[in-house]
Amino acid sequence: MLKFIHSSDLHLGKRFANMPEEIRGRLREARHAVLGKLAEAARDHGASVILIAGDTFDTETPSPEIRRQTLAEMAAHAPLQWIILPGNHDSLQASQLWNALQAEAPANVVLAMEPRPIMLSADATLLPAPCTTRRPGRDLTEWVDNAATPDRNIRVCLAHGGILDFSEDGDASGIIAPDRAKRSGLDYLALGDWHGTMAVDPRTHYSGTPEPDRFKHNEPGRALAVEIPAAGAEPIVTPVETGTFSWSTQPLHLLSEDDPAALVRQLLPEGVKRRQTLMRILASGRTRPDGRASLAATIEHAAPEFAFLALDDAGLETDCEAGDLDAIDKAGALRIAAEELLTDSDNTALSAAERQVAREALLRLFSYSQKIAS
Amino acid sequence: MKISALRLHNVKRFAGKGVALENIQEGVNVFCAANEFGKSTSFEALHALFFQAHTSTAKDVRSLQPYSGGAPMVQADIVTGNGRYRLTKRFLSSKHASVTDLENGRLIAQADEAEQFISSLVRGGTAEPAGLLWVRQGVTGIDQRDKREEENEKRIRESLLTSVQGEVEAITGGRRMSAIIERCSEELSQLVTDKLKPKARGPYAVAIEERDRLVAEEQRLRGEVERLREALDQRAQIVKRLAVLEDAEEEASRRSAVEKATAVFEAAKAHREALKAAEAEARLAHSQLEKAEQDFVAFRTASKRSKELQAELATVEEERRNALARRNEVSLAMDKALSAAQAAAAEEQEARQLLQRLDAALKARQAAEELILLRERLQQAEALRASHEALKAELANLTLPAGLIDKLQKLEVEIAGLRAAKEASLPTLRMQYQPSATVGVTVSGKQLEDGAEQSFDDLVELEIAGAGTLILRSNRPADADAMLLRKEAERRKLLEAASLADLAEARAREASVQAKLSDLKQLELRLEHLAPEGLARLRELVAQRELLGASVPDVEGDPEVVRTRAAEAAQKLTDANGRIREAQPQRSRADDALMAIETRHAKIIAELTQVDSVLGAADARASREQSLEASYFQQKQNFEELNQKVEKLQLAAPDLAAAEAALQRARSVQDAANKEKTNLHIKLAELNTEIRNKSDEAVEEAWREAEDALAITNERVARFQKEVAVLVRLRSALQQSRSAARDLYLQPVIKELRPLLNLLFDDVSFVFDEKTYLPQSLRRNGQDESIEVLSGGMKEQLSILTRLAFARMLAAHGRPAPVILDDALVYSDDDRIEKMFDALHRQSRDQQIIVFSCRQRAFSKLGGNVLEISDWRPEA
Repeated sequence: MLKFIHSSDLHLGKRFANMPEEIRGRLREARHAVLGKLAEAARDHGASVILIAGDTFDTETPSPEIRRQTLAEMAAHAPLQWIILPGNHDSLQASQLWNALQAEAPANVVLAMEPRPIMLSADATLLPAPCTTRRPGRDLTEWVDNAATPDRNIRVCLAHGGILDFSEDGDASGIIAPDRAKRSGLDYLALGDWHGTMAVDPRTHYSGTPEPDRFKHNEPGRALAVEIPAAGAEPIVTPVETGTFSWSTQPLHLLSEDDPAALVRQLLPEGVKRRQTLMRILASGRTRPDGRASLAATIEHAAPEFAFLALDDAGLETDCEAGDLDAIDKAGALRIAAEELLTDSDNTALSAAERQVAREALLRLFSYSQKIAS
Repeated sequence: MKISALRLHNVKRFAGKGVALENIQEGVNVFCAANEFGKSTSFEALHALFFQAHTSTAKDVRSLQPYSGGAPMVQADIVTGNGRYRLTKRFLSSKHASVTDLENGRLIAQADEAEQFISSLVRGGTAEPAGLLWVRQGVTGIDQRDKREEENEKRIRESLLTSVQGEVEAITGGRRMSAIIERCSEELSQLVTDKLKPKARGPYAVAIEERDRLVAEEQRLRGEVERLREALDQRAQIVKRLAVLEDAEEEASRRSAVEKATAVFEAAKAHREALKAAEAEARLAHSQLEKAEQDFVAFRTASKRSKELQAELATVEEERRNALARRNEVSLAMDKALSAAQAAAAEEQEARQLLQRLDAALKARQAAEELILLRERLQQAEALRASHEALKAELANLTLPAGLIDKLQKLEVEIAGLRAAKEASLPTLRMQYQPSATVGVTVSGKQLEDGAEQSFDDLVELEIAGAGTLILRSNRPADADAMLLRKEAERRKLLEAASLADLAEARAREASVQAKLSDLKQLELRLEHLAPEGLARLRELVAQRELLGASVPDVEGDPEVVRTRAAEAAQKLTDANGRIREAQPQRSRADDALMAIETRHAKIIAELTQVDSVLGAADARASREQSLEASYFQQKQNFEELNQKVEKLQLAAPDLAAAEAALQRARSVQDAANKEKTNLHIKLAELNTEIRNKSDEAVEEAWREAEDALAITNERVARFQKEVAVLVRLRSALQQSRSAARDLYLQPVIKELRPLLNLLFDDVSFVFDEKTYLPQSLRRNGQDESIEVLSGGMKEQLSILTRLAFARMLAAHGRPAPVILDDALVYSDDDRIEKMFDALHRQSRDQQIIVFSCRQRAFSKLGGNVLEISDWRPEA
């Protein structure tokens, strides 16, 4: 019987300079807070050990503050045991980091720096496959095939990397054999790297990050609570939500007659959840100039309630009709200019960039004329 | 479109009440009412009907509402090319719009459709002015404007051209355009300069600066990270290497390798020393052997040589004797030939000298004989020469000038002629004596003969004896004989010059000259015979002979004998010389042979001496040879023994170089390992410091941060770029469109305006540019005036005229539009107003003009259709 928490990709120390300055602090703080949440999950599920499958730190040189605070937090949750595996972001190549961790690690923190069995208990052995370099270029779990463990011991492998041609960093040079669990007689293969939770097979799982850091996965932060009754028994895997912030990209496809403001309001979560939400609205399709304006206004209006809310309307086309031009002017030179811009915005003889500039100019004219008239 | 009626209900002061202006006609319509009598209300209601949507709650609409509230209603009947319609709009609380066809009373459109119908009436094609043209009190255009705008406009529209331009823009919607362009430019100017460069300290420039800063920062940090990673890699390698180097087993093996190599090397070195000593010994023995061998061989060689030389010497001496004999023999023959030659030469010499002397004597004798003959000839020749000279001299005196005889002959004839003529003409006298006459008559003492006729020249005195002298005078002219006298004088002169008496003598002289010339010829021939080469040559020859024959040598002998003797001697000499030539080479050969033999002889003697010195005394030679031989064999044995020893040592010698190399290698391996260890420890310490510093600075985090920030800033710069592009595009579209509109209307309107201006300002003439039709200057009372500043009156007049011009233009395009004026002439004086009225009437021929005014007195003169306000109640 073995119970543990499987997590990975904490990316502690990530600075989020691509986010507005106001929320960077909160995002960083949330990363640190996840340690407490993992410990809480362990306690909730009666697990005594937390396996972190790589990328505990975002870089090979986390600041001493990050490192020390991490170790201090882990120490605070003793007797819970933490087993940290070097990932591609914090590979063994970062010897300074690992030397420092070795020097500073409290008793309940085990650094899985070598491919050598670690006894988790009398009946369970952990077989770690630490990342030796940023891009090892080979399957580091190979050694597990021939790793001897005491008879009837539960075999758990801890590794970091892609199993197919996908990888979080788009670099698939060191592919882990997807059937490694079967081949090596593993009871459980705990993987890290992919930030989304994914079950490859009943014995092979990516835990995903406990606290998302990008818009890629549209999933909440999770860890996996794993229970293995005995050697050879199928593991019972329970996802546990650990994320503070929710990151998502919401597609919004519009038709000319749709009311963009109403549709987008449906996408937005309600209430206090907004404060913990980072959301990107990816608008596509077609809309009228006023629809566009109202969409932008709706987003603008809601944005302050969100941790982050942005509209990407580069893929949204604007439909202009005579009535829309009437709003600029019914006749006269203004109307002529508006019509010229409208023509140019659909003129395939022009480059896409020129068309877009013409379209934007027309929308601008529309908004100016509204303001001047009022 | 034309308006035929206007009705309002519950509008402004007409709360709960309806009024109507019916019967509005073509041409000028005037609604003249005192202030607050509904004039402006009617005007605003009419405007709202056409330009405000019935759903609108704009300020203009709300202002129609009376204080008591309720829904204002406006209605107008209109006539278009398609028919007659009634337009009705109710605003605010009961929004409603409708269009009714007045022909059949049918409702044809409501609400939005009605709005569309109405807007199609006032809306021309795109870019055309609205179908109604408005001028309002004090201002141009109908739109509300704030004070600043008003001020601005005044400032801008100060000149005629700008004023007209402003009007055109007001009518064609240009003012909103200006506002939008201004807004657009304002936003643009916050980002970029006039030249579209990012404006310093503007948000765009700031973003670019930030981007540039981040690019540099990102690069710097990336470099740092790369250096850190490099340092980490290096350190990992160093640690790995140190582990290998510092392994105890490895170190021990390196040490023992050095020790072993050292031992091998030392042994090899000792062996080498022993070999060297043996080699030196053998070398010494060898040199001694060589010496003994040399001595022995030298003695033997010398002995052999000595014998050979003795034999050779004997031969050479024999040869020398022969050669000497030969040479003496040859010398003797040579001497004999020489003396024979000398004798022959002397003999020949003597014979030749004798022969020469005999020749000379012969020649002298011949010369003496010739001299006698030549002397004789010379004497004769010289005599001939003398007579030749004399004759020539004589001839020179006798010879007459050429032609003299002919000349004298001719003169003689002429003189004879002349004399005959004279005789013929002279008076003649003839005395006929009486036969008894005793006394004669004499002339110049000479008695005249009887019957003899005598002539006379000038005067003749006849002495008649006893009777006196009879003087007869001929009285011939004085020059009667001039010719004759002249000729005679001439002849005399010629004769005197040649010392001649007369012609006959001359002829005689000529004959004697000819005879003498013949003699002279004769003499010359003879002389030539005697001295054909001339007398001088003859004298020379004589002198020569004299010289030759002066001394005749006294020699005896026969020249022929002597000559033979000489020839014989010469032959002898030749023979002797031949013998000498033969003997000479023989002698030199003999000399050479002798010399060669002498040389050989000397050489043999010299060598023999040397050899003998080597051999020493002859009696000790045999014993000496024996001792040399013994010594040689002893040395040889000695050397061979030593040499064998060396060879043995050599065979057993270890490879010292290899041993040394092996030792060096072992040492260098150890040294290198030690050195590398030291270096690696130093390097490791350095790297540790560097890595610790960089790690503590969290460079990678900082780098990722900079990267993210850069991406954001790049997006921001791109947004600004796009913003600028959009604003520029919009501005250019607007500006182009505006200038196109100006071009489209300004000129045609001014063209239409021109006759109106002249009508209104008869004391003023405008000068227009021929090409552009734009007004250029203003001329008043024959004076050009600036048109920069216009009076308020003139401005409002222009405003009206411009609309009239527009109306004309629209009418010409088949879309007549009513012109509506609301107290539009407040600044104009009465005089000008009347002119304005004329213009309105002139224009109203094909045009509807509706005038609202409160100036009843002034406008009473306008004429036209006077509109009256009447009560009206809308249908239920």
